Amino acid sequence: MRKFYVIAGLSIILSLVFSGCDALGGQPAELKTLHVNSGGAGDIPTIDPAIAEDVTAITVIESTFIGLTQINEVTSLLEPGMATEWDEVINADGTQTITFHLRDDVPWVQWNDTKVEIVKDCAGKDRMVTADDFAYGIYRNLLPANASPYGYLLSFVLKGAAEFNDGDTEDFSTVGVEVIDDTTIALTFLEPAAYNAQISGLWVARPQPKWVIDGDDCTEAQGEKWTEPGSFQSYGPYTMSEWLHDSSMTLVKNPFWPGTDSVPQAKIDIVEIAMLDPVPAFAEYEAGNIDAAAVPLADIDRVKADPELSKELVIAPNLCTYFYGFNTTAPVVEDVRVRRALSMAIDRQGLIDNVLKGEQEPAQWFARPGLAGAPTMDTHPDLGVKSDPEAAKALLDEYLEETGQKAEDLDLTLVFNTSADHQKIAEALQQMWADNLGVNVKLVNQEWAVFLETIKGAATPQIWRLGWCLDYPDANNFLREVCAANGSSNPYDEAGNPAGGFFWNNDEFEDLMKQAAIETDPDKRLEMYARAEEILVYEDAVMIPIYWYTRVTVTKPYIIRTFSVGGHELYYKWDITSE
Amino acid sequence: MGRYIIRRLIYIFVVVIFVSLITFGLMHAVPGGPFSREKALPKETIAILNARYHLDDPLWKQYTHYVYEVLVPHITTTPPTTSLMDDYLISVNLGPTWFRWMNFGPSYRSRSRTVNDIFRDNLPVSAQLGTMALVIAILIGMPLGIMAALKQNTIFDYLGMAISIFGVSVPAIVLGPILVWLFGVALQWFPVTGWGAKPPYLLGLLPTNFGWDYFKYAIMPSVALGLGSSAVIARLTRASLLQTVREDYIRTARAKGLTERMVILGHALKNSLIPVVTILGPLFAALVTGTFVTETIFGIPGMGRYFITSITNRDYPVIMGTILLYAVLLVFANLAVDIVYAYLDPRIRYD
Amino acid sequence: MAQANIELQKIGAGGAPLTQKRESLWQDALRRLVRNRAAVLGGIIVFLLILMAISAPLIAVKSYETQVLTDENKAPEWVVALFPTMKSYVKISADYPLGADYVGRDIFSRIVYGARVSLTVAFIGPLISLIIGVIYGAVSGYFGGRVDNIMMRIVDVLYAFPSILFIILLMAFFRSTLTNLQPGTLAYALSQLDARMGGLLFIFIGIGMTSWQTMARLTRGQVLAAREKEYIEAARTIGAGNLRIMFRHILPNVVGPLVVAETLAIPSYISTEAFLSFIGLGVNPPTPSWGSMISDGATVIRSYPHQALFPALALAITMFAFNFLGDGLRDALDPRLRGTQ
Repeated sequence: MRKFYVIAGLSIILSLVFSGCDALGGQPAELKTLHVNSGGAGDIPTIDPAIAEDVTAITVIESTFIGLTQINEVTSLLEPGMATEWDEVINADGTQTITFHLRDDVPWVQWNDTKVEIVKDCAGKDRMVTADDFAYGIYRNLLPANASPYGYLLSFVLKGAAEFNDGDTEDFSTVGVEVIDDTTIALTFLEPAAYNAQISGLWVARPQPKWVIDGDDCTEAQGEKWTEPGSFQSYGPYTMSEWLHDSSMTLVKNPFWPGTDSVPQAKIDIVEIAMLDPVPAFAEYEAGNIDAAAVPLADIDRVKADPELSKELVIAPNLCTYFYGFNTTAPVVEDVRVRRALSMAIDRQGLIDNVLKGEQEPAQWFARPGLAGAPTMDTHPDLGVKSDPEAAKALLDEYLEETGQKAEDLDLTLVFNTSADHQKIAEALQQMWADNLGVNVKLVNQEWAVFLETIKGAATPQIWRLGWCLDYPDANNFLREVCAANGSSNPYDEAGNPAGGFFWNNDEFEDLMKQAAIETDPDKRLEMYARAEEILVYEDAVMIPIYWYTRVTVTKPYIIRTFSVGGHELYYKWDITSE
Repeated sequence: MGRYIIRRLIYIFVVVIFVSLITFGLMHAVPGGPFSREKALPKETIAILNARYHLDDPLWKQYTHYVYEVLVPHITTTPPTTSLMDDYLISVNLGPTWFRWMNFGPSYRSRSRTVNDIFRDNLPVSAQLGTMALVIAILIGMPLGIMAALKQNTIFDYLGMAISIFGVSVPAIVLGPILVWLFGVALQWFPVTGWGAKPPYLLGLLPTNFGWDYFKYAIMPSVALGLGSSAVIARLTRASLLQTVREDYIRTARAKGLTERMVILGHALKNSLIPVVTILGPLFAALVTGTFVTETIFGIPGMGRYFITSITNRDYPVIMGTILLYAVLLVFANLAVDIVYAYLDPRIRYD
Repeated sequence: MAQANIELQKIGAGGAPLTQKRESLWQDALRRLVRNRAAVLGGIIVFLLILMAISAPLIAVKSYETQVLTDENKAPEWVVALFPTMKSYVKISADYPLGADYVGRDIFSRIVYGARVSLTVAFIGPLISLIIGVIYGAVSGYFGGRVDNIMMRIVDVLYAFPSILFIILLMAFFRSTLTNLQPGTLAYALSQLDARMGGLLFIFIGIGMTSWQTMARLTRGQVLAAREKEYIEAARTIGAGNLRIMFRHILPNVVGPLVVAETLAIPSYISTEAFLSFIGLGVNPPTPSWGSMISDGATVIRSYPHQALFPALALAITMFAFNFLGDGLRDALDPRLRGTQ
């Protein structure tokens, strides 16, 4: 027994000595640690750039993998990323080739339980990020077997990508991706669209460590488990060191990231991302354990009135639009006057002031200001649809008179996916419609998976809810990819007929989409999208744009930060001043 | 007794098979699939996914494949791979061959995890929390119930029952945030969210750091979770004890001149425990498999959330895994309860 | 209680001499119930609650569904006095006796109308489970042997289900049929009815389908015990059929404990409804229910504590009432307690 104590005592002393040595070995006395919360409760499904789809995952990817190009998180302007420069050439067949020239000084790194290390290849040399790694990343995103939910971003623009993604060909060389040398990669696009260079830099086209995923002479293949701590490798300003599933993820500074004008070295050493529901996360903020958090809707009034919290409150724009869509073939709402009346009858500002409270903006159209090509309230103050209850009532009366119906007899149903916040909005709008038009709209909520199926099929309800957030900051991502023929909310069947969502086809709108994509004159492009919006939300009134999102956040005063309009925070631009 | 247990085990097996069948049928009958997305995936992609997860097979084949993977032990010479399709809960190396058993399949939503990973990482947390909640429930519930019974129709009875009904009628949805605010944010006695231990767990189940650093995380959620159950236990104890003290043998004991305390503690209590023990079985299964509300409010990485989110995500293997886990725990808990019966009430004999 | 009395009168009319004695048992039970002050109080509260639910339009002056958006989250003076932290941001108004909710609806009116939903759940839920459970258990217990064995094993299987999950799956299944089914089918008719009832129908079905097993077990046990009794033998010898024996002779004798068990289970039905509301599967808006009000209020409990407090208080009072009544009923009906007090 005594012997045991002696050994125990010795080991304690030894461990003290060694940890003391460690502290002397150049480690800074105190590491800067940032505590934040993820998008919500529950585990991050994956942080694999090839298949990631949610905000938290993309936030992590933005800090650990840097794209060819970068989109400034505040201004949405294009900046150099891994590519220092790029040349755009329009080919004889109308396609566009962009040749990217990459940095050669960025090594792959990995957390090895104590520190960040450069990854060595089988010959013992540093593995640098090369053009091949980018090509492999694009390959994995498009590989049908990976079933990336965002495969469509590249297949939409990249030559041959759709065919490869659909499985029509298994030959990746048919895709417009050409590795010229280690630091040069050329991508060929279907058309010379304004947003090609933006999409090239998105998370769907980021390098991944082939040797970890598929294995090589000196590395064991990890397959889908490569994103787990221990095998995860990255090269951006941060790398991931710990992932406690359902609980938290930890990012550590990568000292080997060279630091550029657009992507500086990280100033904060450790970023701990908790996975909490927004309400407990805000409680953690108030308890002082989280440094930046979203303010739950219910607490906004209290925060605004609180002398401390109100100083920490920032309401920043968020490039998303909340809208209700119509099934334009369903009874009653098949008449455009009813649709327009429903859209004009709602008091958007009233909804924002009394229900949403986050200083959101009333949406007059779909592709919200801040996106490239999208109209702004300065350039087009009268565009789209505005609240006008009298005009709405007149429109509806016209319809009722013509069809010989009474307002209270109209059978209207609004379906939304189950959520307390959607319900609040639906209840408020239900009341506005009743007050201003005299119609009783029934509210039905469905669970998300059922709801998605409902609004994509033949039985799409008369009115349904959705929101859309940007993938890349261009009006094309909203108008064309959501609303045009075969857009995500306007699906077409095999025969090319509307089969769900809006059930809508408008030739002028389609033409505008195609022309605007390749228009190089920004002013003309803006006018084309403005015209398209007028068709979408007023002339055909296939949707009710309701509001443009904001993010209501509080941040401790000792944090220096930026506010990303896309919701993907770039932690390497944040800093902590001495408390 | 031995034969009885064997018979019960066979019967448990049958129950679990039926539970799995019903769950399987029901989850496939609910519309919406695991690959529904706001932006629909290309048909070709969905076909590939369906093929990978065998979802294009006829339902009976999918089901038998599932049962085969879960139930039938595999003895192979191929070593385990990192593939998510190849993760067995029990995997033992026997020289040249491998004994591998219970593959609950990959999660469709967490793209780098399997159902077994969820069991390994999240079940221990729920089990720890559930056990502590159960202990709290018993520690509060039993004394309250005994006090109420012994002082029937006095202020103690009413007060005890009032406290216990307060426990049931203030749901964790309300109690949780109040505890968080009072003891977490305002007084800062306890951490607001989180759990005090992380994997790997001792024996796959227990935390390695028993101490204040661990328990300070557990106190608020255990109380929030256990209070409701304590009320159930208190009411049952009271009712059962009231009944027992009027049994003849208690009268006999009293007549023999034993003190009231001896009568209650020595005779009545043990016998009145039977209904209380009955409820402990299901209670244990429910608490240990986690609860959605408590885990969400206190940010605890347990199983509870998976019960709900797996259904909303149509994550079929996780739905099957969690429901089967619950069913197995419940039937075994009930078996344990029946065995405890035999100890508590010598009149009960199993054969 | 009322129900049991009706059963009793029927038997009395049948003229069997045994029931004469039973009637006195009921009288005795009633006498002891009345002496139990807590139970009487519980009974009175339940009665008042029912009265409130029925006469909701008279009590609630304001509409439970009309929103006045600009009045959102208003609270009366005394509530602010109770929670002084609200003072700096809440809009004080005497228009609403208990304040207004997040879209400016009168909380008092919603609680009064919410009693309808919660009490309906409290009565219809048990009724469904009682009907299914009693018939099932009676058949199983009466026939015994192999039938009993198989029927009870089925109960065991259903019992091993986490009932909440079963309800969630059922609700997802039912609710989705609203828009995805063709008119004319039974499911469509059901979903229409559900929509009319503000989403209550499927809550009933879900709760009923997952809670009858306990009833079935209890009934079976009671029937097993009762069928060995002499009067059943007597009935059999005079040639009474199975059905007749079961419904005329056995069931009336076991109904007491069942009613008590259901009364005691009522609080759990109400909390199931609250939980369903919490995960968004509760009643459809704007139908008010205490469960949905509590779960909505719980998210704002820091800023507007009164929004969860008052419905929770209503729920607590109801639970108290049902619990005390149930406990009292059991104590009163327990034959071994006869003659006490």
